Amino acid sequence: MRAITRKELKAYFSSPIGYVCVSVLLALYGYYFYQVLMLRSSSYIASVYSTMFIWSMMIIPIITMRCFSEEMRNKTDQALLTAPVGVTSIVAGKVLAAFLVFAIAMVGSLIPVVIIGFFSSPSWALIFGNFFGSLLYGAAMIAVGVFISSLTQSQIVAAIGTFGISIILLVIDQLTSVISNPAVTKLIGWISFNTRYQPFTKGIFDVSSIVFFLSVIAVFIFLTARKLESRRWS
Amino acid sequence: MIEVKNLSKRYGQNVALNNISFSVEKGTVVGFLGPNGAGKSTTMNIITGYLSASSGVVTVGGYNTLDNPNEVKKLIGYMPEMPPLYPDMTVKEYLNFMYDLKKVTLPREKHIKEICSLVKISEVYGRLIANLSKGYKQRVGIAQALLGNPPVLILDEPTVGLDPKQIIEIRNMIKNLGKNHTIILSSHILPEIQAVCERIIVVNKGNLVGDGTPDSLSRSLSTDHKLIARLEGPENAVLNGLKAMKFVVSVQSFGEKEPGVFEYEVEAHEGHDLRRSVFQLAAKQNWPILSLSNSDLSLEDVFLRLTSSAYLKDNTLIENAKKGAEEQ
Repeated sequence: MRAITRKELKAYFSSPIGYVCVSVLLALYGYYFYQVLMLRSSSYIASVYSTMFIWSMMIIPIITMRCFSEEMRNKTDQALLTAPVGVTSIVAGKVLAAFLVFAIAMVGSLIPVVIIGFFSSPSWALIFGNFFGSLLYGAAMIAVGVFISSLTQSQIVAAIGTFGISIILLVIDQLTSVISNPAVTKLIGWISFNTRYQPFTKGIFDVSSIVFFLSVIAVFIFLTARKLESRRWS
Repeated sequence: MIEVKNLSKRYGQNVALNNISFSVEKGTVVGFLGPNGAGKSTTMNIITGYLSASSGVVTVGGYNTLDNPNEVKKLIGYMPEMPPLYPDMTVKEYLNFMYDLKKVTLPREKHIKEICSLVKISEVYGRLIANLSKGYKQRVGIAQALLGNPPVLILDEPTVGLDPKQIIEIRNMIKNLGKNHTIILSSHILPEIQAVCERIIVVNKGNLVGDGTPDSLSRSLSTDHKLIARLEGPENAVLNGLKAMKFVVSVQSFGEKEPGVFEYEVEAHEGHDLRRSVFQLAAKQNWPILSLSNSDLSLEDVFLRLTSSAYLKDNTLIENAKKGAEEQ
């Protein structure tokens, strides 16, 4: 798994993808910090992270699209799948590498926070709640994105597919106001990433939400591994 | 070392492999021969665990590929038809990555250096794989398979895209490796197989159509009932004389080989040896026999015969080939 992660990280940063994704995310974070904190003179940090989140939804598919699509197209998956390593650890290595690229950008987003920390005492719980919420949400989306890239050889299809699903998961809870059937509403509330994310924006470390995102990651790593194995049988 | 039993692979309606069985002893070099689409790569992919069989069992070094895939994969160095190379890596990065991926425990620097000098890629060690020529890419693919010194090497068309000098080098390399490795190598280039392999397995359309040493294969096919004879005498008279013999199917003249001497191919019904009757006829007519031999098949002929559709139905052939191999 470590070999895969190291190789993936090298691939992200020996091509422009890693740099472009990280720098675009950081530039946008910088802009929203400036907009919220300076222009609006507000300390409402949740607004920075929740706005950024939509942009993250656009960047994450770009990070994950190449994971398996490229391997399948170059037939390099033959090297991975005939090496004495488990499929799950291959997938986990790839998810971890993609997550690290995203995490680099997220950690960078803390720079303005640190600077503010020098001059005042913001509500740290709120800031870190938002930070970890976004990090977990992103990690779950990355697991979904890696799964989708294992479904297709085309990177573009993988990217658009992941983007579509992330938007659906983001807005699905808005449907609850239109649907009267309580079972469906409950189901939507259950799968909605946004509902799970809300506690973090209030600075609450909701254990059930943390467990939810971690399970989503685990489930999609599992599904990706099964998908790769199923190719052997077709 | 490798046991393949009743292996079948279907892609939907399409049968890629049909009940193939063979086993490979430790330390032998086996050539896998067949036309395009015969099922060579599929078989190799199943042995290496990249694909699963629809039915049948493969064991490598005593481990079943389904029950202990990782143990099997540790024993095998595999070079697929298209070397699995990452174009955005240098040769150095790639070999180091594969070294880690395969969990090799030999001393890293020294081992990789050795392999590089063995397959002669030391001079491109620092270069990006994307910029390498086809021949070098092929060799990096072979280098990757050799990492960790696996006891079994499976090479799918290792010499494709190489220039003649490189082909000879790679062949010699494979021959040397064959001294302490079990090697399965596929090719549709006959001289290559003949030069390198001790044993040949011929597949066609998913069926195993021949299995044996190059000699036993050609012997089992070079039917006793075909003779090549050189007789001195008038061509037409000899031709008619031969044709008039009992059990003769056809006679063909190959033309004048020496002054007044013609060469003929005489085909008899199966199971009939014509050598004596040819002698008697010639003696009676006073046509000196200058040479008389069974027509020997070259490996090309063997291959063409085995893979022609008529032979597919003829199961006795495979049995003959096996018998030949046992006699050896």
